[in-house]
Amino acid sequence: MSTNDTPQRTRQTWVVPGFAVAAGIAYLIAGIVGDEVGFGIFGLVLMVSLAVGVLAFRRHSETVQGLLDRRDERLVQIDVKATAFAGSVVIAAILIAFIVEIARGHDGDPYAALGAIGGVAYLAAVVWYRLRG
Amino acid sequence: MRNRVRELRHEHGLSQAALGAALGVSRQTVNSIETGRYLPSLPLALAIARHFDLIVEEIFDVDE
Repeated sequence: MSTNDTPQRTRQTWVVPGFAVAAGIAYLIAGIVGDEVGFGIFGLVLMVSLAVGVLAFRRHSETVQGLLDRRDERLVQIDVKATAFAGSVVIAAILIAFIVEIARGHDGDPYAALGAIGGVAYLAAVVWYRLRG
Repeated sequence: MRNRVRELRHEHGLSQAALGAALGVSRQTVNSIETGRYLPSLPLALAIARHFDLIVEEIFDVDE
């Protein structure tokens, strides 16, 4: 259910932009550590631009605003479904890549590990939500 | 499910945006509820009913 603006919802609005900026900083650090400073700077600029763009665009789009502040239950459901779809696509891609690697005579890494992480995460989520009712 | 949200909104002279603001949802969500494309959660259905000073059954009903 939706409620009026609260400090919690205001904070929620900054989660996605904040995550984007944090990822950009991580790219920059990784670039510096890996001696790919250009990549790091490009990554930081790209992610900060994404954060600024999302914050600016929210004033023009109810959908973007709703996805950011999560006060609209329908948009939250859309976000959950879209996330599940994207996760399914990634898992399918990992499985296909794993099979291709095996067919090429390789050991399937890193796709075997990624697939295992996905499987364990799914089972853990089922158990968690089952226990929470 | 069918509902009387659009009818009630018109009776109260509200726009979709105004009703959405009162309920804390977007105009798009009000439109989706009115057209039957989105079934609101029980808390939101209760909020709609209370907004119009009715009970849920007077607004939402199952298609026979």
